Amino acid sequence: MIRYFALLLLIAFCGKLLPAGESECGALESCTEYKADVHDLFSLQRGLGLYMNYCSSCHSLQYLRWNRLQKDLDIPENILKEDLILNPNVKNSDYMTFGLNSDDSTAWLGAYAPDLTLRTRVRGESWVYTYLQSFYEDASRPLGSNNLVLQGSSMPHVLSSLQGRQQLNNKGELVKVSEGMLSEQEFDNAMQDLVNFLAYAAEPIRSEREKNGIFVILFFVIFTAVMWLLNREYSKDIK
Amino acid sequence: MSKQNNSFMNWLDKRFPVTENLERHLTKHPVPKKVNFFYIFGALLMVIFMVQVITGIWLMMFYTNTEEGAFASVEYIMRDVEYGWLMRYMHSTGASAFFFLMYFHMFRGLLYGSYQKPKELVWLFGCFLLFLLMAEGFLGYVLPWGQMSYWAANVILSLFGAIPVIGPDLQVWIQGDYVLSGATLSRFFALHVVVVPLLMIALVVFHIFALHEVGAGNPEGVDIEKHRDEKGMPLDGAPFHPYKTFSALPAIGIFFVIFFAIVFFVPEGGGYFLEKPNFEEADFLKTPEHIAPVWYYAPFYSILRAITFGIPFLGITSKFLGFIIFAASIAILFVVPWLDRSKVQSIRYKGIYSKIGMILFAASFITLGYLGTKPVNELRTLIAQICTLFYFLPLILMPIYTKYEKTLEVPERL
Repeated sequence: MIRYFALLLLIAFCGKLLPAGESECGALESCTEYKADVHDLFSLQRGLGLYMNYCSSCHSLQYLRWNRLQKDLDIPENILKEDLILNPNVKNSDYMTFGLNSDDSTAWLGAYAPDLTLRTRVRGESWVYTYLQSFYEDASRPLGSNNLVLQGSSMPHVLSSLQGRQQLNNKGELVKVSEGMLSEQEFDNAMQDLVNFLAYAAEPIRSEREKNGIFVILFFVIFTAVMWLLNREYSKDIK
Repeated sequence: MSKQNNSFMNWLDKRFPVTENLERHLTKHPVPKKVNFFYIFGALLMVIFMVQVITGIWLMMFYTNTEEGAFASVEYIMRDVEYGWLMRYMHSTGASAFFFLMYFHMFRGLLYGSYQKPKELVWLFGCFLLFLLMAEGFLGYVLPWGQMSYWAANVILSLFGAIPVIGPDLQVWIQGDYVLSGATLSRFFALHVVVVPLLMIALVVFHIFALHEVGAGNPEGVDIEKHRDEKGMPLDGAPFHPYKTFSALPAIGIFFVIFFAIVFFVPEGGGYFLEKPNFEEADFLKTPEHIAPVWYYAPFYSILRAITFGIPFLGITSKFLGFIIFAASIAILFVVPWLDRSKVQSIRYKGIYSKIGMILFAASFITLGYLGTKPVNELRTLIAQICTLFYFLPLILMPIYTKYEKTLEVPERL
């Protein structure tokens, strides 16, 4: 019996040792590890603010509804209407479709700006977090910027006013050449907020799922214990 | 009340054999008293089958089986349908759990000779179930219409295209279009929710009827029917209900603890249960860099890829030969009852060659599974080729070594 369990453990351990994908962080050896926290309501609200100010002109959130966002992020009706939706023709129950259409985007930037609702699930949270921090100036690119994580990315460095300008040194590392509005620590926190928000948008139920899962598991632990005792009584008959 | 009950049962029994069947399959059906944990997987498979059917029905209520609507409808289920996310995660985790349990259940069969005379049909029905489960999993995997759904399905369907002469036409016939498209999606939906599950239910019934005819096995390979008490109940046996039903319940509880831990805390299973590219809608123009099957097909996919050579003078391409060997890796399981010539059932009493064979087989299967999820390079292809060889050899040579190897004496009683 113990041998079989050892075998099971070994198999489980193999799974741990061998992640599904290989390094996908472009010019970087690996992405900076980051696990989004979707339980911090204020962080999600700050992330939404950053998203609306810096991302929403190009990127839509086509699977997220305004009223879902309102409910989950605890946003008052007047702020939702006046500061977020802005357009009187859009209903609260509509999806958050805005941003560039793909024809304009392809004509102006060379590529379409992808919808970001599920982006953290496609790329992974660490990837998005590292990507947002890895822009640098590159005169060879049409818009003057490039990214270490996604070489040749068509996205301009929209966060440079916050982060400051970055360039590559001789060793290919990022160095700051001017200060932005935020200090390094503040910018890092801001990017965490943004990734947290994107992780929320990718799976709005996640916070509730992680909170409630423990009760379901607890139920089955108790169920197992009771059934084990019951079975012990029954098996006395056939000893 | 009990008198009323009895008269009701009498009325019923004269018209439909309820009591007879309950006794035959539950309350008087003898099963071995002592078995090990490998014998729980059959019960767990029944449980997970029910989970898949029930969650599947709920998903079907909200899913759209069109090229334009499929992907968005899955997100609709995840966001707007009450507890839709739970149904979806249970169904996707359930698929992985189904295969995990199935592989252990079959490995138990191989270890303890659960296919030997007179259990050949039990094993055969089980192998058909594996085949149907693989088809069911494949069809279902296409439905969310993600990038990996689309491209992995392309790889598999192109295998039919590799069959000489009829291949290309066959592929178009299966797809219902010249490329994998909405036409394919809607027929896969029909097959996934109606045809294959119906066949599976029928085969589960056959599997269990055949099993109850020949009796369940045990890890010792002892025939419990030989020694009976005065009532005709085997001395080493106990009625299925309540003894086995209640002994399965704690195991089902433990299974659900693990199952729901995955559903609630790691539904993506580290990219093995729900793959990252599948969160992006299928794009006909963008092939993913690395097309990998889900983990449960990986061993067979690895065998397919390991065949990098064809037989030119017979006009067999490497792709077609790969397809043949891939099909053979599943087909060979069907004939195992006729490959094993051993006098004993259980690995415990078989000789050293059977033991080595079983270890090689299992190790190759796991290694092939690992390699199947990785991109190919020369070394990996070589290892996959060696493992393919060691997957087949223990089975092909089975008639020889099981006939001549020295076996131990099987005890009379459990």
